[in-house]
Amino acid sequence: MQDRDSGSCWFTIIKMEKEYIIELKNVVKRFPVGDGLFTALNQIDLRFEKGEFSGLVGPSGSGKTTLLNIIGSLDSPTEGNALVLGKDISKLTHKESALLRNHHIGFIFQVVNLLPVYTIFENVEFALLLQKYTASERKKAVMEALEWVGLEKIADKKPDKLSGGEGQRVAIARAMVKRPEILLADEPTANLDAANAHAILQTMVKLNQELNTTFIFSTHDEKVMKYLNRIIHLRDGKVESDDLIKSKENVPGT
Amino acid sequence: MIRFLLKGILRDKSRSVLPILIISIGVALTVLLSGYIKGVFGDVITQNARFETGHVKIMTRAYAENIDQLPNDAALLETEALIGELKTEYPDMDFVQRIKFGGLIDIPDTAGNSKAQGPTIGLSFDILSQNTNEVKRMNLKNSIVQGRIPQNRGEALIGEEFSKKLKVKIGDVVTFFGTTMNGSMTFYAFKICGTIKFGLAALDKMAFIIDLKDAQMVLDMEDAAGEILGFLPNDVYNDMKTIEISETFNQKYKNSTDEFAPVMKPLKAQNDLEEVFNYGENMSGLFVFLFIIAMSIVLWNTGLLGGLRRYKEFGIRLALGEPKSGIYRSMILEAILVGLIGSCIGTLIGLGGTLYMQEVGIDISEYMKESTMIMPNTVRSKISSNLFYIGFIPGVLAMVIGNALSGIGIYKRETARLFKELEV
Ligand SMILES: Nc1ncnc2c1ncn2[C@@H]1O[C@H](COP(=O)(O)OP(=O)(O)O)[C@@H](O)[C@H]1O
Ligand SMILES: [Mg+2]
Repeated sequence: MQDRDSGSCWFTIIKMEKEYIIELKNVVKRFPVGDGLFTALNQIDLRFEKGEFSGLVGPSGSGKTTLLNIIGSLDSPTEGNALVLGKDISKLTHKESALLRNHHIGFIFQVVNLLPVYTIFENVEFALLLQKYTASERKKAVMEALEWVGLEKIADKKPDKLSGGEGQRVAIARAMVKRPEILLADEPTANLDAANAHAILQTMVKLNQELNTTFIFSTHDEKVMKYLNRIIHLRDGKVESDDLIKSKENVPGT
Repeated sequence: MIRFLLKGILRDKSRSVLPILIISIGVALTVLLSGYIKGVFGDVITQNARFETGHVKIMTRAYAENIDQLPNDAALLETEALIGELKTEYPDMDFVQRIKFGGLIDIPDTAGNSKAQGPTIGLSFDILSQNTNEVKRMNLKNSIVQGRIPQNRGEALIGEEFSKKLKVKIGDVVTFFGTTMNGSMTFYAFKICGTIKFGLAALDKMAFIIDLKDAQMVLDMEDAAGEILGFLPNDVYNDMKTIEISETFNQKYKNSTDEFAPVMKPLKAQNDLEEVFNYGENMSGLFVFLFIIAMSIVLWNTGLLGGLRRYKEFGIRLALGEPKSGIYRSMILEAILVGLIGSCIGTLIGLGGTLYMQEVGIDISEYMKESTMIMPNTVRSKISSNLFYIGFIPGVLAMVIGNALSGIGIYKRETARLFKELEV
């Protein structure tokens, strides 16, 4: 399977002008509510390129989280297709989607969700335990990830000793330690003060540029928007606008 | 991964302490109870075998029928020949003659008048032969309270309690009054050489112990004995063997109509021991069974509560790309680890308690005063190899079953739903 994919990739690159890492075609998501159905996402058509630093922006309830969940293969569309790294999300088995997340997708949440009983090092290491790394490979990767976010010195501390900003940086390290192609961040700055929000965004910009990871945010935070180079406005489950921006803070190649 | 889970268990006290506590207690109780039952029943076997039943016992049919009356008029005759036969057939076993007899002990004063009197149950066995195993078997030397064991014909031991009642001292000469095998009156003077306490209320109250040869002489029972007891090699009891041996032995006399034909009874067929043992086995089996059920239910519920608390963790792990089956598996693995820890602690506590109960025991002599059953005055537990797993395995099993049940909830929840727990 792996071989055939990379083989066809060769042709795809030649045939297509752009390499899309995520393609959403007429994605509809309906939730059962009471007797009827609630349409949370309506005819979403979006493509994301590798290395994008983009954001889903919209008020609460506009469908941002639902969309991120579908891209992250935690949920599947009711109608339409969501192709992530060439895989059709609605056709994946539970195991396959877990594998996709494990190897290719990182998540960051609004609330810092670290496992309280484990040290910072172990929290980050956890992401690697599901893959076949040796202990020394894990150690190297975890320390590197903690260096990215500037927390290598407090690797042995427990999460309850951390400030909100530090916690979110650990979460970034945990999401990035396996070097995923895609990083999904659901309102990552919502609980942070301005200074911490900026620090985190700068870290993410840096990682985006160094590792060419595709970042997709969901946010309604002005501070985040300044950093984005693509803003997709959602309203009532529909794409309202989709704009490319040359952001001052995030000029690729700087 | 196991290391990771173990760390989680050890650090998250709320996840581990309660189940470990529950398992430890349950396992410890199981071990204690089993060790106790084992000890009591082992003692009952040993004591009964020594003093009463042997591992097998040979009597005449008539004697067996009225055994409570010590009917020596129906004793086995030509016992030496019979023992010879038995020894050729079962060369590893030890066959010994015993005579039990009722009678009266009379203490004369210097004038020859009766100073004190008391009914007695006499017990005679081979004390004086050079190669006798009986002295050791009856633990005679260690049971002596005052004086020594008989070294000559005409010497007797008397129960310590009995001696106090009769105010007999070492060196006193007492007269035994009884009936011979043929029903005529007999009496004989014995010199008390020691007092004895077996720790068996039934015996200590009225025991009068003399050598077999003396008894045979006094009771007119030359080459005769009420009972022949058989003991398996090294006096180690084996249920199946005794039954097997008895069956083959009795087969030979199947067609005899003689009421004095010999009959062999295995230990359990005597003194209602069979029922006693079945009862004990059923009780401990039932206890272990109930224990697994009860613990599983308790652990299922603690597992459910723990699981609810951990939906957040499961959400994170799903997001990190662990499949539900992986989470479920790690829950089971955790259950095994917690079960192992709890079972280890419980087994250790149980074994410790059993060891204490084996060395020290509980004195029940108060309750046994009026008993005629052969029961030791101190009940002791017994450590045996099965105590290492009898609580251990159910402990682990209960934890795994409990968690397997509660973990099913993970499968029932949608991935996105578990994941949603992260938003709050
Ligand atoms: N599992 C669900 N069942 C029912 N309704 C849901 C479910 N998930 C989301 N919704 C609804 O879909 C809409 C979009 O939700 P969401 O994607 O969480 O919005 P956002 O993240 O933009 O605030 C909301 O109205 C929400 O109530
Ligand atoms: Mg949301």
